[in-house]
Amino acid sequence: MIEIHGLHKRFGSVVAVEDVSFRAEDGQVTGLLGPNGAGKTTTLRVLSTLVRPDRGTVTVDGIDVAQRPFDVRARLGVLPDTRGLYPRLTARENIAYHGELFGMREPALSRRIDELVTVLDLSAVAERRTQGFSQGERMKVAIARSLVHAPQNVLLDEPTNGLDVMSARSLRAFIRGLREAGACVVLSSHVMQEVAALCDRIYVIAKGRVAASGTSAELLEKSGKTSLEEAFVALAGQEAEAL
Amino acid sequence: MSELRRTWIVARKELRDHARDLRSVLSALLFPLLGPVAIALMFQVIASWSAKDAAAEVAIAGRANAPALVAFFERHGVPVKDAPPDYEERVKRGTLDVVVILDDDFAPAFAEGRPARVSVVLDSSRTKGHARAQRVRRLLEAYSAQAGALRLLARGVSPELASPLAVQDIDLATPEKVAATILSSIPMFLVFAAFAGGMYVAIDVTAGERERGSFEPLLLSPASRGALVTGKWLATVAAALLALAVSVAAFAVTLRVVPLETLGIKARFGPAEIAQVLAAALPLTLFASALQMWLSTLAKSFKEAQTYLQLFMMLPFLPAVYVAIAPIEPSLWMMGIPILGQDLLLADVLRGEPIGPVPFLVAGGVSAALTAAFLLATARLFRSERIVFAR
Repeated sequence: MIEIHGLHKRFGSVVAVEDVSFRAEDGQVTGLLGPNGAGKTTTLRVLSTLVRPDRGTVTVDGIDVAQRPFDVRARLGVLPDTRGLYPRLTARENIAYHGELFGMREPALSRRIDELVTVLDLSAVAERRTQGFSQGERMKVAIARSLVHAPQNVLLDEPTNGLDVMSARSLRAFIRGLREAGACVVLSSHVMQEVAALCDRIYVIAKGRVAASGTSAELLEKSGKTSLEEAFVALAGQEAEAL
Repeated sequence: MSELRRTWIVARKELRDHARDLRSVLSALLFPLLGPVAIALMFQVIASWSAKDAAAEVAIAGRANAPALVAFFERHGVPVKDAPPDYEERVKRGTLDVVVILDDDFAPAFAEGRPARVSVVLDSSRTKGHARAQRVRRLLEAYSAQAGALRLLARGVSPELASPLAVQDIDLATPEKVAATILSSIPMFLVFAAFAGGMYVAIDVTAGERERGSFEPLLLSPASRGALVTGKWLATVAAALLALAVSVAAFAVTLRVVPLETLGIKARFGPAEIAQVLAAALPLTLFASALQMWLSTLAKSFKEAQTYLQLFMMLPFLPAVYVAIAPIEPSLWMMGIPILGQDLLLADVLRGEPIGPVPFLVAGGVSAALTAAFLLATARLFRSERIVFAR
């Protein structure tokens, strides 16, 4: 479970996150929806302990990210904004390296990687060096890497960015599988349809604030619009006018 | 799980990764060969000088006219052969360095006490024959002086009266001297190997990792920044040590192969010297690797890091050049200056001078302290939001 109260973060004179609060439950997919530059990535970086919050409390399973970052990292699986692989290592070696850093040992590590390779349909490329992998293959390896230690909480920053339709579909099915398994999944996106199709609860973020929240049906109702895209424009825009 | 184990996991991954990388392997294996190859080539040239001297041979036209002179030449180690009839052509073409001509009037003139004419044919535009022509001329002068002295003695006059000056050449540019100068560049090349060997790995594990976008995922693991930095540093040190080992081995082979003894040079490079060289250079590889990682972490990109480190590659040469231009008397505090200390220490080892443990400890201790400082500074950079997310 992830909770954020009154998060504020600035870089120099640039305010990245003005005031964000939300709560993500276990067994649910929580979506952070917003235009580019709204503060989604910064929020996820604070959650993943790489950026320190200026104000506000951020906890993962009740553990404060600023006070016990190492304990938080052990409970998080993060697909960050940058998701490069080691081109001279095979897909399996890439995944195993992170598994080992999370304290996993053989034979449990190999079993877990086999499991992920099967679920993510990576068996054809698992033993190949990742140099020359397609975008979709790279993304799947990066996801397997971030989930190798079977974390309870999963943060995905724009997970379907740059994927073709088929890859995006299978990735969505995979994320639903995580929810079924009881994980707390938080994903950020600027694509309305994706968030609507996946998320149990949506937080619309604009200019560093939560502009609206609810299920996709509730958001439609709040905005008085009939399509999600219009609802998004209306909700994000309202906030802009209010500022 | 201990941070020690995580350090080892990081080091092992980087070693495996870079063992598969041609650029890393080549920079660890080829750069250190630069010095030994250069020195072997220079010695080849010097050896060819003295080889030419040894085979000095002179062509004389009309040797029958002066058997005593021919005997004098041969007594002084210069074999005499008959000059071919087309000697002028050959000297012009450069296939013959020098020819001595004794015409038919030589024997009568010599017997009558008139100056007997001797012509030395050479092409002064060719530097190749200068040394041999000079040698021939000196021998002729010596023979002339000897014959003159005998004539004076026969007339009851001291030959010393005919030699008011005793001119003696003292040539300092002997092959020995040149060879010693070349040998004194060995410390510089060893220091260079310590810097060049790990350079590529140092850049790749820091600026390279960030540029490829695998740095942020790595930082998301529960490994401490200290463990990540130390593991990466160990892999860099391994590459630098490999380079140092290659360099030392290549020098050991070179110094065994080149004909140092014929040049009268004592350069000992046995097991004891190798052990001392490693004791002096090892702390430097630790320091060089830590410094290179810190600089590369500060750099915004792989290319920027490469530029910084290539500038730093000049460092090994600066103290060496300074020492060559303005020779300094080594004192203990200089051992504490990284690179300069190792240059001086290595020079002493190669000269075979007895060195106590103190200079090694001073040089090694300062390097170790600086290594720790740069590793801590790098770990601090790994925690900085500005560095981690720099684009």
